[in-house]
Amino acid sequence: MRLNYIKLNNFRIHKSSEINFSGHLNYIIGGNGQGKTTILEAVYYLCTTKNYSSSPDSEIVRFTEKEFEATGLFSDLTENKVRVYYSSEQNKKYYFQNDKQIYRAASIIGLFPVVILTPGDHSITQGSPGDRRKFIDSIISQASDTYLNYLLDYNKTLRHRASLLNQIKETGNRSLFGQLDAWSEKLIITGSELISAREKFAVGFNGYVSESYKIIMDESEIPQIEYYTLEGKYDGDYKERFRKLLESKRNEEIRRGANLAGPHRDDFIFGINGKNLKTYGSQGQHKTFQVALRFAQFFYLKEKKGKTPVFLLDDVFGELDSKRSVRISEYLKLVGQAFITMTDFSDISNLTREEDDLIIKVANGAVSYG
Amino acid sequence: MQIAQPLQLAIEELSKLPSIGTKTAQRLALFLLKSDIDKVNSLTSAITNLKEKLRFCSICFNISEEDVCEVCLNHKRDRSIICVVEEASDVIAIEKTNEFSGLYHVLGGVLSPLSGVDPNSLKIKELLKRLESEEVKEVILALNPDTEGEATSLYLAKLIKPIGVQVTRIARGLPIGGNLEFADEATIGRAVINRINL
Ligand SMILES: [Zn+2]
Repeated sequence: MRLNYIKLNNFRIHKSSEINFSGHLNYIIGGNGQGKTTILEAVYYLCTTKNYSSSPDSEIVRFTEKEFEATGLFSDLTENKVRVYYSSEQNKKYYFQNDKQIYRAASIIGLFPVVILTPGDHSITQGSPGDRRKFIDSIISQASDTYLNYLLDYNKTLRHRASLLNQIKETGNRSLFGQLDAWSEKLIITGSELISAREKFAVGFNGYVSESYKIIMDESEIPQIEYYTLEGKYDGDYKERFRKLLESKRNEEIRRGANLAGPHRDDFIFGINGKNLKTYGSQGQHKTFQVALRFAQFFYLKEKKGKTPVFLLDDVFGELDSKRSVRISEYLKLVGQAFITMTDFSDISNLTREEDDLIIKVANGAVSYG
Repeated sequence: MQIAQPLQLAIEELSKLPSIGTKTAQRLALFLLKSDIDKVNSLTSAITNLKEKLRFCSICFNISEEDVCEVCLNHKRDRSIICVVEEASDVIAIEKTNEFSGLYHVLGGVLSPLSGVDPNSLKIKELLKRLESEEVKEVILALNPDTEGEATSLYLAKLIKPIGVQVTRIARGLPIGGNLEFADEATIGRAVINRINL
């Protein structure tokens, strides 16, 4: 899939910008606050109907204006025109595919696969287990509708069960235990589906990460991803173990009125040569790992969906030395089309620009080709 | 803007109906206003009849003209099987298939701790009572395959099994006549996961 064209109206600093993209590398160059990252943000919006940062739609609207609009033209086998329109007066967002309004955001998920690397990715390797689960869940959900549905089902079960645990905590009513057993069983059944899908994913994804890491880094460093579920390493017998763990937590769950066991507490441990990255990794290793994860995600989704994702890289070269930067830019040539923001092209020596690559300069919300 | 009070009242009442917004209510009220009085009368009497002539069966809580519904009264129906559904509309859906000749039990909803629906708000006690007194050998749980429906099925199964009655759940999977390629991926995915031996 390729993104050929984008048009932005009142989208943050962009009053009215139109860009025709290259099918190869698109370098988007500009200083801080000039509106270069906004272009990636808009592309992400068009692919998912959502913002990748958690800022509300109303914040996207250009200062003193009342609405924003973004339009994109995608092509693979067919052409697809996608448009997002938001009105701050109605506080409502409209999404159109080929001029037909789409009402369910879920029906968009996975249709335009997108991978975005941002400076915020540091939380994937350095942040909490929740950050890693969010990262992994988003990849599997993009690749599998079945997984997405189990995930939504599981989260709903968690909310019902938390409400029930709270009622038991507040009232001490033992007649609610029968209901609790049913919701626990539901949690185990749905949760086990998540665990088995995540385990299968972690095994397969390891190969993709190793491949990416090897290309960016030296061969002497081998990355690993290990799945930690139900407070231990995965061992296959998860349904029984989940049940036992839940039983052992029962009193504490009731005392605290909260769900204390299950795949919503899982973690993925990243390592290099058998050493825990979070504990022992250097700044450079963390950044390299983050970049490798996004390349791995790109190639994983490409294979699973049979569709090339849109690849967005926000300030990927920021914290890397020039050797690593050059390797990444070479690697990007295997990707095909990509969108890369940076402050200055000449900052990175040895970075070569091929004939089909495009340089887009962004200054104060205005776009020109370089 | 001033709206004549009878019109305003009609719009308000109509918009209380499920899935009717203010705009639709307005359209309906104006449509009725323009209609012949005969048509309006037959509509109002149909609605009044609905309330006056129908009630819920005292055994299975299906819609009924009498105290006990036609299904429960029919001696040709298999009294050893009870199919448990969420709403009376589900009885209509299953009856249309002509595939089921047992009895029904309408729960009147599903468990939902978040919205405060507990077993006492559903016809669960009444179901258990039927299982004691009748010659029931099997209970089919035909609740919706969503989060709350599945949890309710698990809850009911735990209550019913100790009584010694067999509990089954309707299979879920692909719609008949539906092409694999047109089914949504989640349905196909689940059908593959819940595959059966042949
Ligand atoms: Zn009846």
